[in-house]
Order: sequence, then structure tokens, then C-alpha cells
Amino acid sequence: MNMESSSRLQQVLSKGGFAVTAECGPPRGADAQVVRKKAELLKGCVHAVNVTDNQTAIVRMSSISASVLLLQMGLEPVMQMVVRDRNRIALQSDIMGAYALGIRNMLCLSGDHQTFGSQPDAMNVFDIDSMNLIHTVRTMRDEGKDMSGFELNEPPRMFIGAAANPFADPFEYRVIRLAKKIDAGADFIQTQCVYNMDRFREWMRLAREEGLTEKVYILAGVTPMKSAAMARFMAKKVAGMDIPAPVIKRMAGVPKKKAADEGVKICLETIAELREIEGVRGVHIMAIEWEEKVGEIVEAAGLKLET
Amino acid sequence: METSFKPKITLFHCINTFGKGASLPLDEDHFEMRTVKMPCSGMVKDIFLLKAFESGSDAVIVMVCPEGACRHAEGNLRAKKRVEWVRNLLDEIGLGRRRLSIFNISSQDESTAVQIIRQTLSDLADLGPNPAA
Amino acid sequence: MIVGVQKPVAEIISTVAPYKKLLILGCGTCVKTCFAGGEDEAAVLGSALRLAFKKDGREIEVEELTIERQCEDEFIRESAAAVARNDAVLSLACGAGVQDIARRFPGRPVLPGVNTSFIGVLEKQGLFTEECLGCGNCELATFGGVCPITRCSKKLLNGPCGGSRDGKCEVSSDTDCAWQLIIDRLKTLGQMDNLRTYIPPKNWQPSNAGGPRKLIREDHII
Repeated sequence: MNMESSSRLQQVLSKGGFAVTAECGPPRGADAQVVRKKAELLKGCVHAVNVTDNQTAIVRMSSISASVLLLQMGLEPVMQMVVRDRNRIALQSDIMGAYALGIRNMLCLSGDHQTFGSQPDAMNVFDIDSMNLIHTVRTMRDEGKDMSGFELNEPPRMFIGAAANPFADPFEYRVIRLAKKIDAGADFIQTQCVYNMDRFREWMRLAREEGLTEKVYILAGVTPMKSAAMARFMAKKVAGMDIPAPVIKRMAGVPKKKAADEGVKICLETIAELREIEGVRGVHIMAIEWEEKVGEIVEAAGLKLET
Repeated sequence: METSFKPKITLFHCINTFGKGASLPLDEDHFEMRTVKMPCSGMVKDIFLLKAFESGSDAVIVMVCPEGACRHAEGNLRAKKRVEWVRNLLDEIGLGRRRLSIFNISSQDESTAVQIIRQTLSDLADLGPNPAA
Repeated sequence: MIVGVQKPVAEIISTVAPYKKLLILGCGTCVKTCFAGGEDEAAVLGSALRLAFKKDGREIEVEELTIERQCEDEFIRESAAAVARNDAVLSLACGAGVQDIARRFPGRPVLPGVNTSFIGVLEKQGLFTEECLGCGNCELATFGGVCPITRCSKKLLNGPCGGSRDGKCEVSSDTDCAWQLIIDRLKTLGQMDNLRTYIPPKNWQPSNAGGPRKLIREDHII
């Protein structure tokens, strides 16, 4: 990993710290205040905040602009970038613009298919895939060249992230794919949220065996569930999600008023277990539309940031 | 049944549903019926059914062997699919699916055949003549 | 073959409504094999249109003719007389055929009766599946004969994505995950190493993205 980034997230990880990141979904509209309010809730709780890019293919304020709003509030954004909506010209252009605006971290993703979103009639792009995007950012950063080989007047020195899903199929290929992403240039990985601990442990074991935990920082994803209905919805409808039946049963087993508390409890138990797994270098808390819980979770988990 | 017009029915049947020369005990003063004999009901093609309507039929009936009893294994299953496809087309062009029907009928079961025809005539009293005749 | 689906009858009825004499021109190649526009389909459509118009008390004369292919002048020529004696042509060919007819007979409105969909195969009776989108630069050798450009919903070259579940694509549980198919095939072939190599971004210039394409065979032109 090239150490020339002024990414705070990179600094925490390279010094051996356990990183804590959260997520901020931009609004479906042009109101900057929505972003600022979420930022207020997360400020001081986490090392960095992911800003999603038209997540689930629903049109939202762009991740680059919401990332800048976070910067203005003194937070450290991780700008997510999907390859579904933009071709290589636009992607490279936005990477340079993001860096120029002060963004230092980005996460390279494929993106959910547009048939799920608010504009299923749209043409998708997928000019390059997420692996190509990782490779592109790395080349821009380390060689100072864009995809056409042109020498950039200033390389964007991004801390490069990629997503990994230990719960998607085919299982045996997932670690090979992780290795490929690291070779392409991924510095850190954020995984899909963990409920199936056995499967996650197995994936980590294979990753360690391949020597991958020495080459990349893995942050395990967690999501606190608000209700049994949410648990069932996620299990059925969200692509790549693995929620074992006992977990859903647990959520359903408490009175509705207590469900949210139970969800947070499960989340804290998960975080405690994750901290014990060799190779897990941090946790990525995706409290969707529940940002106010992040601070509480971080504190209860004993992960309060040293300032 | 009373209709203000003289209904025309075309009946497609496979030779196994009625023997050669079978004639149905029906009073043919009040309606016209043309029968089309086929070696197997699987031979019922979309175009034959439509041509029957083009040539003035008010209703078309297809009689096929009971399921599992087709001498040619699946002819009656194919006929069922074809008839359903044409019924949908009849709806789309505004003639209506009720004018075309398919029935499974055991070999030589004349009384059921007669019942079916009588029912069709009764339906036609409702539906009226073929608007495209 | 090229796979298409005949347009809904209601749509065809409104498209041909302005004309008194209509030629339904079927095609005996691709659209015949997918039951969209061959001779049988042309006959059924002709009958349906006559019934539909007559029922409304409207006049229309419908002629039906099917030629071998609508993408070569050698066959198109055979329809010249029929085209001349009708007011409009409803072509049941694929989009290429419709355009070739229109090109050869610029004086007649040539209307499409089929929605051309994809290049595909008959996987089993009654099931046609899309296999190729004509990228102009075939890489099937790398992927064990399964095309990720066409059959992966995200055109991933370094797939799969995180949405692959039980061998199915996140878009629909009816859609196979192409990457699962690729992995299974490469395993059978003992070529899983193909997937350890990073595959660089695709060059889309040879595809339609680079502009509408031409193939010129100088060796066939004297």
C-alpha cells in the first residue's frame, strides 16, 4: 500500500488501530441540511463515514457532493462509486474532482441493478466493472496516469476500498475474488453485514490461509435491526444477505417495543465476536436511516474514539 | 333455446371421439353444424379455428379424447394449448373467448356430445351472431 | 437465431388502421423458428385482422406472403409485385428485415409487426434464451463458453458480484447467474486459473457503441 495518502482512515489502520466506520445515505432531494443533520449524529463517533452512490438504484443526491458536505462538517468521507451509472470517462473525471475537493477515501462497487430502483427504465452503463475501477484508481494514484496512459498533472492519492460479500455464492470462489481485488489495488475491504458468524469465520480463515489479511485491512460490516419485520425483509429481499433463522427467531421472540433494543444487543454481540477474529481490523456500522444509534453502539461496544 | 338468428357451429373432432359415419341425434332445423374430422385433435391448428370464424361460424367446438387417453399420446394436450392461445386472440380482437370451447369426451359418448352442442346453442342465444361474419 | 415476439394484436390493429390494402410479409428464417413471423404466423395474423376489422364494420383487404428472408435482395425481389399492389406492408421480420424492405420499396410505408429482441438459442422446446449481444470482440474462450457480457446482468468481466445467490442473478430468480455458470464450466474444464487473472476493461469500439457497424468483404466485390 502506498502511504502517501492523507486519509485519516488509513492512518488509524496503519498504526494498528481498530477502525470504526459508519454510513450516510444522501437524501432524495437537493436539501443539504439532511446531510448535515446526519453528519451531526455521527461526528466524533467514527473514523470515517461512507457516502452511498444512488444506493439500490434509487436516485439520490450524488455521493461526491454529499461527501463534500461531510468534509465541510469536519468528518472524513469514504466516497462510494458504482460502475452502474457512469462510463470510464465520467468515473475518472469524478475521481480527480473528488480528490481536488478534499476526498481521500473511496469504495469501488458494481452497484445494485437498476431494475430494483426508482428508474427501472434507465439504460445502465457497466462500461467497466468494479475490479477495473479499483485498478484504475490505483494506477492513477501510483503511476499518475489515467486509463489512456495520459500523465495527470496531479495524481489522486486515494485510499482505495472494495466490498466483499462472504455470504454470496459461490462460496469457494469468494476468497479468490478477494485476492483478485487486493492484487488490483484494494487497500481496505468492507464486508456485507455479518449475521451468520460461522460462515464469516470460515471466510476469514480462508482469507488468512491465502495471506490476504497481511495485504489488506478487512472491516466487517454490521447492521442493527429495528424489528422482526426488517429482519425478514432483509433475509428475503436484499441481495447477498444471509440471516440465519435463529437470528430472525430472536428478533421475533421479543415484544415489538423491545425489538429495537434486541437488534442493538445482537449487533453488540456481533461486534464483540468480530473483534476476537484474527485479521478483522475494524467494523463498518451500517445503521440505515438509524444514524442516531451509531454513537450509542460505538460507546456500548467500547470503541469510543480517542480524540 | 330460441335465437333470432340461425346459429352456425363448426365442430372439430378427432376420429376417436366418434366413429365413422356417426351422426348426432339433433334437430338441425334451428341451427347449422359443420363437422371437421381429424386423425388426432393435435392437428387442430390456430388457422383452422380462425378460418372457421372467417367463414361465418358463430361458435367453434373442439372435442378431444380424455387426458391420458390420446391414441397419439399428447395430441389432446397440444389441442388444449392451441385452443387456449386462440381464445386469448379472440379476446384481443374483440370476438370473445366464449365462442371457442374445448371438451374432453370419451369415445362414442354421443349423449355428452349432444349436451355440449345444446349448451353452445344456449350460449349463442346470449352472445349473438358472429359480429365479423 | 434472432429471436423476436409478435407485437400485441391491439397495437398492430391501430398501426394498420389507416390502410385499405395491407400486405403481411412473413419471413421464413429466424422469426419462423421462434414462432413470431413465419408463414403460419402471417396466416393467423391475417385472419385475426380481417375478423377484427370486419367486426367493426371497417374495410381492409389483407394479403399474406412469406419469403425466405427479408435481409437479402435476392428474396426481397420476389415480393415486389405484392408490395406494389398494396397500400402498406406489415413486415413480420426482425428489425433488419423491416428496414431492408423499407429500403427497397421506399414508396410504401413498411411497418414492424414484431419486436426484435435478441440473438439466442432454443434451449429446450418453448424456451429461447439470449446468448450473444454482438460485442464484436469475442472472449468466450476465457470464460468456458459462457458469455459474461450478454448473460451477466452487469456485464462483469471479473465477476461475480455480491448479489449472486443459489446460482441465480439478483435481478430475477428466473435468471441464472452467468458467473456461476462460468465457474461451474471452468471447473469441469479444469480451467479455473482463467479466473485468477485480472481481466482489463473491455474495448467497446468494435461494438455498436462505436457506431453502427459494417462488414466489407473486398474479396467478394469485383
